[in-house]
Amino acid sequence: MNTVRISALVGAIAFLVGLAFATFSELKVFLPALLKGLVVTLQVAGLSFVLFLFCSLLAALGRTSANLALRFAAGIYVEIFRGTSLLVQLFWLFFVLPEFGVVLTPMTAAVLGMGLNFGAYGAEVVRGAILSVPRGQTEACIALNMPEWKRLFRIVLPQAFAIMVPGMTNLTIELVKATAMVSAVTLVDITSAAVKQNLIHYRTVEIFLITMLLYYCLCQVVRYGSKLLEVRVSRYRGALN
Amino acid sequence: MKTPKIRFDKVTKRYGELTVLDSLDLDIAPGEVVAVIGPSGSGKTTVLRVLMTLERINEGVIWIDGEPMNRMRQGDALVPASQAHVRKLRSKIGMVFQSFNLFPHMTVLGNCIEAPIHSLGLPRAEAEARAEGLLAKVGLADKRNHYPSQLSGGQQQRVAIARALAMQPEILLFDEPTSALDPEMVGEVLEVIRELARTHSYTMLLVTHQMGFAREVADRVCFFEGGKFVEQGEPNAFFTQPQSPRAAQFLSKVLQAG
Ligand SMILES: Nc1ncnc2c1ncn2[C@@H]1O[C@H](COP(=O)(O)OP(=O)(O)O)[C@@H](O)[C@H]1O
Ligand SMILES: [Mg+2]
Repeated sequence: MNTVRISALVGAIAFLVGLAFATFSELKVFLPALLKGLVVTLQVAGLSFVLFLFCSLLAALGRTSANLALRFAAGIYVEIFRGTSLLVQLFWLFFVLPEFGVVLTPMTAAVLGMGLNFGAYGAEVVRGAILSVPRGQTEACIALNMPEWKRLFRIVLPQAFAIMVPGMTNLTIELVKATAMVSAVTLVDITSAAVKQNLIHYRTVEIFLITMLLYYCLCQVVRYGSKLLEVRVSRYRGALN
Repeated sequence: MKTPKIRFDKVTKRYGELTVLDSLDLDIAPGEVVAVIGPSGSGKTTVLRVLMTLERINEGVIWIDGEPMNRMRQGDALVPASQAHVRKLRSKIGMVFQSFNLFPHMTVLGNCIEAPIHSLGLPRAEAEARAEGLLAKVGLADKRNHYPSQLSGGQQQRVAIARALAMQPEILLFDEPTSALDPEMVGEVLEVIRELARTHSYTMLLVTHQMGFAREVADRVCFFEGGKFVEQGEPNAFFTQPQSPRAAQFLSKVLQAG
């Protein structure tokens, strides 16, 4: 807990210093543009986070399923999206699909690309967590005659959830930072806004300092949320300290 | 003879090359308490696990109340059982594991109402009333809101027994229920099992290394080795005058050690 508080504090102070710096340098001119970029970044990050969770869970269930076809389909998905680069996937969604008559808005393409890509990594984290729930838990469910899907959703997944939080947190932080790539599909996120403002105003240090701090703060929010979640879900293990 | 509660009919279970149950036959009468003893690694746990449907068997038929469990009737033939058929028969059986296998993310009460609500479809209030009665019976009424990690091993195993009873099974399987416990906690768990055995309201199959306990509560002792029941008998006779050399050898070893 302590390290989180300290780093949050450091982040907040650095942000204020940066802000003061910007204000006193009379560089308010570029701040609105950066904040507009921030909104786009938040949108992409938030929406693709939801898709990321959904894909991770679905693909992990597929990969741990008894059904061969599901295992195969989930395996293919993970291989394709882990095996090729995010940037290329974004290009495909935005520039190649229209060739086949599928036209996506920049936001849709960005969210789809990010969510599917990170979902492939998340699937492995979730799968590992599911497999690390002791076999005895499943056997107890069978002995208690619980239906298979209740076994999964009430016994196995809640325990797997506690195990997957750290791994999924890492991926979420990676996801937040990877939103910088969505300028590839013409979205103006923070990074892209910063580059543009820099071309106009030439205040490289201030602009990129603020950009860095904004990303840092976003990641701190993720880290703090994850810490809260971790405490909550592992309460039963007596793992409070 | 009356229909046996449980019948193993030439049941064979193999793990690869290893034959753990070798054309095993066994009949258990309703309300009978049977203790299974035998050397470590001989396959005693496997006997319970195939009965609980945790493992598939390779050959033979297991019958519950005269109905085949791993098979079902279709005309005159026995065909592989459907999931629904297995679930129906399995609902008559409850099992207590060596390592408890409580749900760590649920309270004691939560553990005991989980399956009654989500498997039997009992209303929550009814499931709670039932669970509280059973927790009182195993002496843990005051622990209802604790998590398993906050309980001693003996307490956890008693919760596991209450959880199994909450499903109102007719058959109870115990797999070395006290062998994961510190010595001072063995007594409290045996006391609960003794009480269950005394009433003869359940058909019980108990794998144990506690020879004294087996002798005290069982109607019959079965000595298992080499994939078969080598010898069975009334406990006093078995423990004082084992007929087979293998059983005699086993008893002299464990009684010496104990
Ligand atoms: N899943 C399994 N795969 C392979 N071998 C197994 C498995 N489960 C049990 N065995 C083997 O089957 C034999 C009987 O095991 P078990 O029934 O646990 O014996 P017991 O309970 O009498 O100690 C042992 O030799 C064990 O190694
Ligand atoms: Mg065993």
